[in-house]
Order: sequence, then C-alpha cells, then structure tokens
Amino acid sequence: MRVVIAEDLFLLRDGLVRLVQSYGHQVVAAVDSGPAALEALLKERPDVAIVDVRLPPTFSDEGLQAALAARREVPGLPVLILSQHVEQLYAGELLADRDGGVGYLLKDRVLDADQFIDALTRVAAGGTALDPAVVAKLLGRPRRADPLATLTERERSVLSLMAEGISNTAIAARLFLSEGAISKYTTSIFAKLGLHADDDTNRRVRAVLTYLSATAPDA
Amino acid sequence: MSNVDMEGTMGLRHAWQGLHRSLVLAGLTAPLPVVAVPVGWFGTLFVATWTDGRHAPWAVRALVTIGQVLVVLLWVASALWMTHALTSRPLAEAARRRARRWFGLDLTVGYAAPAPVTRMATGFWWDGREYHKSEREARRRAAMNARFHDPQVKWDGLWALVAGVTVFPVTALPLVAAGVGVWLAGSGRTVIGLLILIVALVAGVFAGGVFRPVAVRFLGPAAGARLRQLETLQADLTQTQAAELERIERGLHDGAQARLVAMGMSMQAAERMVDADPEAAKAILAEARASSRVALEELRSLVRGINPPVLVERGLVDAVRALALDVPVQVTVHAAVPSRPERPVESAMYFAVAELLTNVTKHAHASQVTIDLGYAGRELTATVTDNGVGGVPAPATSSSRVGSSSGGSGLAGIARRMAAFGGRLEISSPAGGPTRATVSVPCVL
Repeated sequence: MRVVIAEDLFLLRDGLVRLVQSYGHQVVAAVDSGPAALEALLKERPDVAIVDVRLPPTFSDEGLQAALAARREVPGLPVLILSQHVEQLYAGELLADRDGGVGYLLKDRVLDADQFIDALTRVAAGGTALDPAVVAKLLGRPRRADPLATLTERERSVLSLMAEGISNTAIAARLFLSEGAISKYTTSIFAKLGLHADDDTNRRVRAVLTYLSATAPDA
Repeated sequence: MSNVDMEGTMGLRHAWQGLHRSLVLAGLTAPLPVVAVPVGWFGTLFVATWTDGRHAPWAVRALVTIGQVLVVLLWVASALWMTHALTSRPLAEAARRRARRWFGLDLTVGYAAPAPVTRMATGFWWDGREYHKSEREARRRAAMNARFHDPQVKWDGLWALVAGVTVFPVTALPLVAAGVGVWLAGSGRTVIGLLILIVALVAGVFAGGVFRPVAVRFLGPAAGARLRQLETLQADLTQTQAAELERIERGLHDGAQARLVAMGMSMQAAERMVDADPEAAKAILAEARASSRVALEELRSLVRGINPPVLVERGLVDAVRALALDVPVQVTVHAAVPSRPERPVESAMYFAVAELLTNVTKHAHASQVTIDLGYAGRELTATVTDNGVGGVPAPATSSSRVGSSSGGSGLAGIARRMAAFGGRLEISSPAGGPTRATVSVPCVL
C-alpha cells in the first residue's frame, strides 16, 4: 500500500513510518502540518493516510479538517485518523459522507502493531475502524426512535464489533461463537436495519453508519 | 411646677445630654488625633534639633527641611497605622452601637472570619493565601489575615481618620471650653467663666449633630460590601484552584508516575529473565504494556478535566455538542455564537454547562434536555432546560464567607465561578419541572 503519514511529533512520525514500512508498505509522504497533509493527500492519492487530529499551524483539529477536505475532493479517500483522545463528535463528522474508508483510533493503539496495521488495511479496503472507546460510548446511549432498539443484546455486541471494523472470523473468536453463528447474526442485523443485498463490505459499513446516525448529535 | 421650671429642667437635661454625647463621641474618636498631635509635635521638635544653629546655603536648608517634614510624616503615619490596627475596629463598633441607640441608624456590617486551613497533598497547610509547614502556624496566619486584611477593618480605619478630624474637634472643643469656664469661675473670674461655661453647654447640645452625617457616610458597610464580596471571591477562587492543583498533582503522583515506575521495574525484570525464562519475560512485558495503556488513559482523563481537548480544538459550541453526546440523555444543542470567546470565559462557560448537565443526569430524571448557546447584548448565555422533576433551590447568592461551607461544588460553585467573570447563574425550577438554568457572562465577541 502507498501510505501518507501526517504527524507533527517527530518521534511518533518516525515510529509510524518505520512501523508501516516494516509491514512491507510504502510511505510516499510523511508531513508535519495540516496544509502539507492536505497537499500530500491530494497530490499522492495514497491507498491510505494516517493523520493526527491536532496539527500545526493552529494545533486545533487541523488534521481532521485536512482529511475531511481531501475526502470532499476525492470521495472515499481512505483516512485513518489518530488522536490522543476520541470524540463521538469527530467520529460522526468522519462518517457523515457515508463513503466508508475511514478509521478513528486512539494513538496508543499503535502499541499493538498487528491490530493497528490490520485496522489500516481495513480502512484502505473501504471498511471502518473505530476505536472501541468510541463504540463503547455509542453503545451506552439510549435513544428514542432508535432503529437499534429492535436488536437483541447479542446482535448489538456483534454490531459494535463490526463498527470497530473487525472481521466475522475475529468477531467469532472474541465472542466464542462459530463463524456461522456470526454470519447469521449479521444477516439478521442487516434485515432489521433494512439493509439488503449489496456487497458485504459496503453493507457492513452502512450498518455501522446506521448505528452511528441513530446516535449522531443533534445540531 | 411652673412652665419656666419645666423648661429650665428640660434645658438642663438637654445640656447634660449634649455634654454626655460630646464626651462619648470625643472618646470614641480620640485615638488617632490624640496619637497624631503629640507624635507630630514632639517629632517636629526633635528633628529641629538636628539642624539647630547650623548654617548652610538656603537650597540645602530647604532640602533638609523637606526631609525633616517627610520624617515627621512617616512617624505620624506609622503611629497612626499601629493605633488603627489596635483601635479602629472596637471603636467603630462602639460608635455603631451609639448611632443605633441615639438615631436608630442600622449600620450592620460583617467582619471576615478566619479562612479555613486545609492540608495539601504535599503535606503543607494552606491558609487561603500562603502555604505553611504547621497547622498551628497556618491557623495563626489565617486569624491574622482575617484581622488585618479585612476590608471592613480598613474601612473602619478611614472612619477613624475622618472622625478624628471632624467629630473629635467639634465634640472635644465644648468639653475643653466647659473645663476652662469652670476653672475661670473657680479662680475668681466668675462672670467670664460662667459665660464660657454656658456657651460651651449650648455648643455641646449641637456638637453631637456632626456625628450623624459622618456616621452614615463612613460607618456603614456600603463601600466595604463590594470589596468584601470580591475578597470572598478571591479566597474562593484560590481555594478552588488549590484544590484543583491538588487533584492534578495526586492524579499524576499516584497514577501515571507510579505506573511508569512499575513499568520500569517490570522491564528490568524482563531484561534479566529474557535469556533464562523467555516466556516469563514475555508475560512481564505484556503486563508492562497493559500498564502503559492504563497510564495513558489516566493521563487522558486528567487532561480532559483540566482542559477538554475539543474545547481547545473547536471552541465552546462543539465542546458542548461533544459533551451532549457523552451523557445518557437525549440532548439537543442550539447554538448561535458568532465567534469564539476568550479562553477563560469559554472554559468557565463550558464547565458551568458540564456541571449543569451532570446535575440534570444525576437528579432531574429528565428524558429530554435542551441547551441553548447564544450571544446578545454583549452577553454570552447558555441555557440548560430539562423536562425533569424540578424543585431545584436557587443557589445562595449572598456573599457569606464561603470555603467554610460547600467548598465549590454544585450550583453555588457555578454561581461563584461565574461571578468571577462578572457573570451569573439563574434558575427557574418549579416543583414538577421544567427546570431552566441560565448562565451568562458579559463579553465582547
């Protein structure tokens, strides 16, 4: 994969470059500011980008804004956002265009290299990778007119793992269920959420998006 | 008894009453002039001896004279300062009692109570202003601060000064005159003596009159009240701030710091075991990694408590939106704020809304909350409305000495923190709901 990295802390940027390279991917640009990130994303059109939320020059949400701007130019441009903290607000904004190919993880998830690269690969493939911290918060929100209300407890936990971007095999392993059982759950989730025949990845993304929009902020 | 007799008795009583009041008032206002005059007089005499019989050009003499005047003024000022510290408060209180008895003037004022002392995590004691090593020292200093830094006592000092140059001479003069009259009458010059005595007695009847206007202007709490309120606010803020620092320090000290030490130790152990028992080493390293994650989480929540990241990155409106997403109640946010307010205002507003929202989720049993952020008439407002049970008592807005009471939590805490920015908290909460709480801060956007 061709990867763009935008991170202002030298140590972390260097570490990310080496991490990505050690898994056999190619880092085409490693930049340290918001404008540079936007430029690199639009010029390089990478297979996936790793972007820190907070970047110079303003040290506000420069990175997130660059990613959103790039995705407006290039719909579905896969971006994995890294942050020192995760906010549902930001997750909602990232997922709002419903194109998939987004990830939003806490920075410390890079400590588990395998899982991190796995998430990166999923995002590159058009899937989602949401941090368990975001998902946990979303799950804890009771909502009126909740399309998720019809889901059973088990279906909810399967959906929340899907939202994190985990494959059926891995979900099966986590919940100590067979893969067949998981696909039965996913089918019933798709049915309950009114999502029909499409390719599986997209349907998964849409299920997650439904899940998110059911819990999205009222502006 | 004839009318004349009656009038005579009345007159005599008036005269006696006047003399008595003059006596009391002169006594109550005497300390400062009584100290200042001799100190000034003898001081002048003393400094004059420094230059007795010396000859010098006039310019040098002028400079020396200025110096001498300044030295005398310094002496008088320090003498007055010490007298004030010891006498102003009791004398002002006595004068207030007189004013109430004679004119029915209600001049109730409040004096500061010693601030409570608290032990910090570092082991030092905090008296509201400074740190001390021992509790006893902290208490002593708190008592001293309350005594000498009380704005009401300073105000009392001004009263003593003003009364010393107005009430004192006016009331003391008839007394002196009466004394002189009696002495003259006794030493043979009867007519002139009696005449002076009568004039003194008549003057004495009216002399007390000067007391009332001065008392109304300088004995009341009027100017002291705002000062005291600000002082209370300052004490609260320092107290809150100190508590906050303590919390952060404890969080770092007991949490992340300890974890990092533990991690270092684990790694050291793993380093030693890596050849002998690689499996055990791996287990230890895995544990260390888990520990680093927990440390990060702790740091994260600490940072959130100090300055929420979204507030830094996006400002008040989005921070409140993010806040709304985090509570388990349906929250609708309406915002019409043209631009970002100044950071401290923004932060105060944010934490006020956060606290209100916490209150709602804890106590209101509400299912629907609306937050309105708006800016109008140079005022930033946030209104939190819920459909809960209501019946929230309005926060105490009196300037009662706080710190001794709730210490900074809840609605009173919000009200106090808003007051620091000239803002306020208003609550309308009839039993049965709905509850509407509005915080507003003046600011320019």
